[in-house]
Amino acid sequence: MTEGRVNVFKLHFLVLILVALTEFIGTKKINIGIGVIALFPMLYALVLGGVISWPSFKFLKEKDMNVAANILGVSFLLFVCKLGANIGPELPKLWGAGVSLLVQEVGHIVGTIILGLPVALLLGLKRESIGATYSLDREPNLAIVVDKFGASSPEARGALGVYICGTLFGAIFMSLLASILGSSGLFHPISLAMGAAVGSGSMMAAATGSLAVIFPEAQQDIAFYSGAANLMMSIIGTYVCIFVSLPLTQRLYAWLEPIIGRKNASSETEGGQRSA
Amino acid sequence: MNQVLTILIIGAITLVGNWIGYKVPILESLPGIALLAVITLIGMGFTKILPFKSPVIVWISLFAMIATSPFFPGSAYTAAAIAKINLLALATPILAYAGLSLGKDIHLFKQLSWRIVVVSLVVFTGTFLFATLFAEIVFKIQGKF
Repeated sequence: MTEGRVNVFKLHFLVLILVALTEFIGTKKINIGIGVIALFPMLYALVLGGVISWPSFKFLKEKDMNVAANILGVSFLLFVCKLGANIGPELPKLWGAGVSLLVQEVGHIVGTIILGLPVALLLGLKRESIGATYSLDREPNLAIVVDKFGASSPEARGALGVYICGTLFGAIFMSLLASILGSSGLFHPISLAMGAAVGSGSMMAAATGSLAVIFPEAQQDIAFYSGAANLMMSIIGTYVCIFVSLPLTQRLYAWLEPIIGRKNASSETEGGQRSA
Repeated sequence: MNQVLTILIIGAITLVGNWIGYKVPILESLPGIALLAVITLIGMGFTKILPFKSPVIVWISLFAMIATSPFFPGSAYTAAAIAKINLLALATPILAYAGLSLGKDIHLFKQLSWRIVVVSLVVFTGTFLFATLFAEIVFKIQGKF
């Protein structure tokens, strides 16, 4: 128990140092031609933290890293609380955005499937593609797939793969994507703010952060609408995943796989399980 | 008890970040952080005593919205105090903890095929892009912008 405590304080202390250092460095904007890339403290903190936890350095034990992942979840709650406190004073604005809030949620749900499933099939993935593309594959989604197909099923393997990638570079990727979409001029900051509420704490924080840096004058609106979209996602997300996203992905898979699925070695070994 | 301590420590770290990054003196941020911590803890406690399972995020958001909406006693003070805490100052610790947890997944990542990595990036892009696109279309139809 005492040992467990020491580890926790080591983590908090490292985070304090990272926060102080990276906030001191501050925000930088780099124009790369196709858009402006926003670099800001939380991204430095993520990368530096990743370097500190790099396994070969043996500075943190795997146990420490698991605890850090738990604390990450707790720290997201304070962020969510701030977003909620942003909505309260202007509650009536929420009704005005009701329709777009609902419709954008459909975009969050089908977006992973529309874009992901065809690409997965074209690359030759089989039933893995169902687990990989039916959702953003964060913890609750992973649990749903494991519950339905079993932990060693191809579906669970696919979901776990996307989960691991999400943990490792989801936040960096989302912040880049937010930078590029934000500076493309195609979308209003409010639409982007709703899009940023993807249902993962670290990815949402990174995407929202990028938008706030790119559109400093719209910071208040960005917090308001991404907060509202995130609330929407957390209320209906899990149910939609179980009753809509997963069955829909299975249907689309059954329809699309014979058409665009690749006939290769992996289709032979797994073809027999397809009807299961 | 453990989680109460964790919330307080993260709050303290945010105070430092809000001071260094956004020049808000620590004493000035203190009430806002304290209120955020209290509302968050109430939400966590409420989720625990409910007889059914529900997402803690929903309750925390709801309580934060209620505490700052115009009809709630002291809402003007609460909203003003919390407004002093920069959203980005709250996000930096999240990603710092995320960073410190990355190492555990690197050996798992090495076993993945490149295909699933590509699919992941497409999945991330899909959910962000389509939600943004759909919101934009509705706002355009409604003539909001």
